[in-house]
Amino acid sequence: MNSTLAHRPRRLPAFIPWLLISPSIILLVALIAFPLLFALKNSFYFWNLQMSPTPMGFIGWGNYEMALSGGFFFGALLNTLLITVVGTAIEFTLGLAIALLLVHKVPGMNMTRALLIMPTTIAPIVVGFLFRYMYDPGGGLIPWLLTSLGIPLPPQGILGSSTTALWAVLFADIWQWTPFFAIVLYAGLLSIPPDIIEAARIDKASPWAMLMRIKIPLIKKTAMIVIMLRFMQLFNTFDLVLVLTKGGPGASTRTLGYSLYQYGLVDFNIGLASAMTWLMVIVVNAIIALLVFFAFKEFD
Amino acid sequence: MTRSVPAKAAVYALMLLMLVVFIGPIFWFVLLAIRPADTFFTMPPVTAFTPIWDSVNYAFGDPGNNLPQLLNSLIVAAGAVMLNLPFSLPAAYALSRFRIKGRKHLMMWYLGLLMAPPVAFLIPYSILASAVGLKGSYFSMILILQTLTIPFSIWLLRSFIDEVPVEIEEAARVDGASTATIIGRIVLPLILPGVIVTSMFAFVFSWNNAAFPLVLSNRETATLPVGTLRYFGTAGVTWGFIAAAAVAAMIPPMLIFLALDRYVVRGLTFGSVKG
Amino acid sequence: MMTTPKISRRTVLKSGAALAGTSALGLKPRRASAQDKTLRVLLAGDPFYYAIEGLADQFQQATGIKLQIEAISLEALQARLTSSFISNQPDADVISVDQMWLGQYLESKWILPLNEFIKADKDTDIADYVPQALYSMNTWRGQVGTLPVATYGQTVLYYKDYVEQAGVKIPTDGSWSWADYLAIVEKLNGKDFSGAKMAGTVVSGQQPAPVVHMFTQLAASMGTHWFKQFPTGKWDFEPTIDSPETLEALKTFQALYKNSPPEAVGYNWFDAGMRFAKGDIGIFYWWTPYAYLCKKDGYMTGKDSVIADKIGIARLPTAPGKKQVVSIGGHSLGIAGNTQNRDAAWQFIKWATSAKTQKEMALFNKFGYQFSDFARPSLYKDPDLIKIYPHLPGQLADLEEGNGKIVRPPCPVYTTLEGIYGLNLNKVLSGELTPEQCLKETSVFFQTILKGNFLIPYQQASYDDTLDATKALMASLA
Repeated sequence: MNSTLAHRPRRLPAFIPWLLISPSIILLVALIAFPLLFALKNSFYFWNLQMSPTPMGFIGWGNYEMALSGGFFFGALLNTLLITVVGTAIEFTLGLAIALLLVHKVPGMNMTRALLIMPTTIAPIVVGFLFRYMYDPGGGLIPWLLTSLGIPLPPQGILGSSTTALWAVLFADIWQWTPFFAIVLYAGLLSIPPDIIEAARIDKASPWAMLMRIKIPLIKKTAMIVIMLRFMQLFNTFDLVLVLTKGGPGASTRTLGYSLYQYGLVDFNIGLASAMTWLMVIVVNAIIALLVFFAFKEFD
Repeated sequence: MTRSVPAKAAVYALMLLMLVVFIGPIFWFVLLAIRPADTFFTMPPVTAFTPIWDSVNYAFGDPGNNLPQLLNSLIVAAGAVMLNLPFSLPAAYALSRFRIKGRKHLMMWYLGLLMAPPVAFLIPYSILASAVGLKGSYFSMILILQTLTIPFSIWLLRSFIDEVPVEIEEAARVDGASTATIIGRIVLPLILPGVIVTSMFAFVFSWNNAAFPLVLSNRETATLPVGTLRYFGTAGVTWGFIAAAAVAAMIPPMLIFLALDRYVVRGLTFGSVKG
Repeated sequence: MMTTPKISRRTVLKSGAALAGTSALGLKPRRASAQDKTLRVLLAGDPFYYAIEGLADQFQQATGIKLQIEAISLEALQARLTSSFISNQPDADVISVDQMWLGQYLESKWILPLNEFIKADKDTDIADYVPQALYSMNTWRGQVGTLPVATYGQTVLYYKDYVEQAGVKIPTDGSWSWADYLAIVEKLNGKDFSGAKMAGTVVSGQQPAPVVHMFTQLAASMGTHWFKQFPTGKWDFEPTIDSPETLEALKTFQALYKNSPPEAVGYNWFDAGMRFAKGDIGIFYWWTPYAYLCKKDGYMTGKDSVIADKIGIARLPTAPGKKQVVSIGGHSLGIAGNTQNRDAAWQFIKWATSAKTQKEMALFNKFGYQFSDFARPSLYKDPDLIKIYPHLPGQLADLEEGNGKIVRPPCPVYTTLEGIYGLNLNKVLSGELTPEQCLKETSVFFQTILKGNFLIPYQQASYDDTLDATKALMASLA
């Protein structure tokens, strides 16, 4: 079925679609452009609120040099990419597994599915508090459970050891967002026309083949959108880090988003934070462009 | 698939595991709000205790600082939903129905807006809100939240409109109906489930956002997530108060999702198979 | 309320005083000219806040000024204040100002200097302040910018019963060295006591602020400085943290961590304090509020901890031949520069910092007695208060040896430096850096940052900021 109108004989004036779209574009541009331009301009100025309430002068690329020097940037970039890539991958895989479980029509499944989405509806800051409470080395639920199961924990605690802290932060994110993946992918699976599945079954396709060759390709578009969404959110992770670890131990959980928070809202070095903002925008845009180029080629 | 008994048992076991993992922690936090202080960090966990309401009373009774914040959150989130639709519905309609040049890029552009790091925007937005005299107002928060809700809503709504057969509209158009009439009278009723689910997400995103209200609100307009932050002090964390405020902050989105559950699955396909 | 004709400050002061009088007689306060005034107060949510919140009605009844108090976390507070000031939109009338930001707030005119208010208002009783406290927290270049509502020093707390059983004698008068302290910690580490495996001490290792707050106390009391010359004399911000004294301090700190629970690497202020309250720590030093906070098993829960009546208090150790330097911190109130309600704001500050209110805050008993952070010497001699807070005499002696400007110097880019210092100190605890590497790297970083912010070489005007100058200032305002 072709769902576009424009080619129909009775043509609408060409401005109609733009009339409908432009309010949203104008509003969004107005709201997004200001902070981006604000950051662009100030990234070339020396403006540190610890020194002066107003910008103190043009310093060219100085802020960018400062942001890139000292090894903080690349360490943080590495951490960020790690949690972004691993987090998205785990959330997708787990979400898909749960989605495949959810399609089983047994009593109670609907109720389970309705409850499952709950973590996603919680404010991220509250998730931070929740996990801080549960990770507490002196009486938190998670260390107690793991120890009871015989799993050895680092003596510094889950959030205190550089080998586990980043994963612990990521785990909180996975807990919150896996259900979102699960529901979206489940919705995708449901929308696959039953005759396609039936045809494959008659062809005696193995469950694995059915998943890889039929189901996943059919829900690919849905999956890609959610993956992109999560990718961007994970890339900006800072609230969980702020509540759980403050970037420590050492720099092991410092992400780009947290560095940005540190420069902008702790040090109040507006110039440096602005440069950092643009570095992040450039990096994430490059990644998104790659994704769009490869994954959304045939997207209409 | 699930006819054999062992398979069924396995499904149930996994179902139970899932509930424990994803719902257990929430339940654990709810208990924190009503458990006696000396059992906050007792392991093995103490589950048998007489609930005490001190924390809940502090947050919502006396002095009850969080009570007005609950109302503020409601105003901001509801406002964000109401402002969202007039912008996103027409855009979603146009993007679904018209073969506009650069449609794909436009769709990507909307999605790309979500990549901006929110922390970076707090100070500029605060300056912007002051410059136009909106600092501290509900409207400033409602407006800025649109940067999160509109892009997401356009994507969701478009997938719904895609599924409405175009022939229905054609008939109306032949009868001379305007585009506004068509959207309002024909498309809107047909995609009502989509509008509902879109509004649910817009509500929850706005409700849960802590960063923008942190700098845009004031004492009278602060929202509940901002209110939970105050309990995370330097001298201590008042865990009971945090939990009381945070649990209250969880309840409305959860109730909405439970009550309108039947729309959720229907709404989240993002136009999967059809595309 | 903006359209109310402007009332002179003196009228308000007078009517405020008159009202205070009537309420003291138990009369119903007359509706005053200031009745419609609403005062917005923005604070950090430390213990003092809960007491102020509980007493707010008194202020409202006495003055007719309606209070809207808001308390948020320290980080959120800074974000709110800064964004409100650079957008020049009043967010609150009374704000709590971090001592590290005091100079910047005054110079940017984000807060009003209080000199004239204090001078005009004798019952501020500026003479009744510990000069070291005002010097450390409230003065900048000859101006009083804020007044302290909660003043902290640092002190040693120990678990009496355990220490006694281990046969350790602790000198409580400060006649001991950090080497003695470390030896005691080592002796107390690893023993069993009443069913618990005891740790010698506990540190606060989380970056950036907590670990810096703890380490700098140790370092300062070993005679170290951050910079070549600051805050006295002609300022020179050449970093001096890569010194043998600092190295010795850092090695001691590292040794303290080895005798504390390994989780302490991620402990922030209250994690460390509350760990002590659990009863498996022998001895530790920390901000003075923990003298009462540790008597409770959780923050503002009102329940006694297991060590509630078993906490011993001792003065901080020193280094041989070095004069003790105690860290001073806390919370202070200032009047927002862009407020429309400066007189009401001053009324509130005067009320909250007055000896009378501070005493009532200490006696406020909703969550147990949870406030003894006075800056006024008179309260340290108050028998009612000493009965509840027996540690007060020692705390006063600590404050009198205090110098917040040496321990954590409020130089213009302090928070940035603290960020780097905290990160590297944390790396020492986690084993990523040796103490030598830490100080070398930090020093290089400091230099880069200070040069990048045009503080090395320092070309602006210096101010010989001495304790005597603060004493003279207090005398001139009294």
